[in-house]
Amino acid sequence: MKRWLGVALGIVTSIGGFLEIGSIATAAQGGAEYRYQLAWVIVFSTVCIALLIEMAGRFAAVSKHTIADAMRERFGIHFFMVPLTLVFCISLLTLAAEIGGVAVAIELVTGIHYTVWALPVCLLAWILLWYGTFSIIENGVSLLGLITIAFVVAAVHLGPDWHELAGGIVPSLAAKQPAHYWFIAVSILGASVSPYLFYFYSSGAIEENWNETNLAPNRVTAAVGMGFGGFLSVAVLVVAALVYAPRGVKVEHYQQLPLLLSAPWGRAGFLIFSGSLFITCIGATAEIALALAYKIAQGFGWNWGEDLEPRDDARFSLTYTMILILSMLLVLVGIDPLKLTNLAMALTAAALPVAILPFLVLMNDAKYLDNHTNHWLGNLAILVISLLAGVVAIVSIPLEIIGGS
Amino acid sequence: MTPIHLVRDVLDNQLIDATGKNAGKVDGIVLELRDGQPPRVTFIEVGPVTLARRLNRRLGGCVARIDARLGAGRGAPIRIPVSRIALDEPSIRVDLVVSSTPIMALEKWLREKIVRRIPWS
Repeated sequence: MKRWLGVALGIVTSIGGFLEIGSIATAAQGGAEYRYQLAWVIVFSTVCIALLIEMAGRFAAVSKHTIADAMRERFGIHFFMVPLTLVFCISLLTLAAEIGGVAVAIELVTGIHYTVWALPVCLLAWILLWYGTFSIIENGVSLLGLITIAFVVAAVHLGPDWHELAGGIVPSLAAKQPAHYWFIAVSILGASVSPYLFYFYSSGAIEENWNETNLAPNRVTAAVGMGFGGFLSVAVLVVAALVYAPRGVKVEHYQQLPLLLSAPWGRAGFLIFSGSLFITCIGATAEIALALAYKIAQGFGWNWGEDLEPRDDARFSLTYTMILILSMLLVLVGIDPLKLTNLAMALTAAALPVAILPFLVLMNDAKYLDNHTNHWLGNLAILVISLLAGVVAIVSIPLEIIGGS
Repeated sequence: MTPIHLVRDVLDNQLIDATGKNAGKVDGIVLELRDGQPPRVTFIEVGPVTLARRLNRRLGGCVARIDARLGAGRGAPIRIPVSRIALDEPSIRVDLVVSSTPIMALEKWLREKIVRRIPWS
């Protein structure tokens, strides 16, 4: 009974923690410019992240290793440094985008420029990490994130053309500006399939002492939680298609984002949007900072644990502190949060093969997983999606930057 | 007797000390070459100096100079005799309390100089 209550909580927190600045902004841009045509990318990404999350949980439960720990052990320090450096740099950009997201949410309500809020936001995230526990971050913040269900309510309220939406679930080529179409497509994918998520998830499984009895609940949590999470992203895309497209608005500035909910609900919608952005981005800020500190601490064999007192894992605690400071500096130099988000999401997609393929090798190693290694179908799906995402991202990022179409 | 593969089963694996705390990774393995006899594993090495040397010789020198400022026993690879380690899947157990060794010098320095000065830590 207790285990299944845990599953319910896991599902709810996956849903509440699914959206953040990356998924909101990229789905909004996709909907504004291509209506429902990019819905299939959200479906693909959701399947991909659900598979990866299930694998991360299974790996930790069976092998008692976190992914970073095993990667160092299996491939040695030379190889380990490659995904570590790459994921670190890109996640730092993503973290800056999330901090920017919280700061923008406060700017929307107070009218005071977002750069002023970067320091207080980082301080708030740091207090959560330094004095909080894993459960506060995982459950508390994600439960509040359920406010994002407002996007589903708005989508239904605005009444989409269900037939056209169903058509969007089938993959299709761009009707206009193919390079931009694929750039938005990989950004959507990068927003959902973030490597930090499975480092975070596998560390959480070790913090909570998972074993093989957790395998079935893990499967249900990954499938249902991520499935409903993807549903929220589709809802953002639908709302964007119904709000921006008829007005001919392209989402090029973060101040255009609240229109998603203020168009249907006025001032109340504006406040719900700002609240959603604030809560989901502060949750993602804490999770990314923690995930990066986990990866470093596990790779170098330090004591680590969000539930330990900082005095018992000083290196780990000061690592996430430094990570927050570094990302805050990126926000303070005044890079536009929306541009930063787009860049971070597309780069995440470009780096997916390097971040994911070594993990896939681990998932097929019987030394770690005994008879719980991957099914070939899961391998194939992840292999194809991550390689395709990498190639398309590497081609479309330069084209987007030079403004080609 | 089960054979042990030094690179697969020992190098880069997690060390756990006698109190169950993480004590770093096995960053290096030291072999003793003997005349007319097979080489013998004598020590494992732990710490940033060994690790940095594996990545790049110059980086190793640089890390060693900074590391030496952490006090006695630092600035050079930290060696543990193989007689004090045992395989204990998925980790390697070391028969020492590392909090009293140079392995934890950086952790201790950060705890005393920074963490303890932050209220309620």
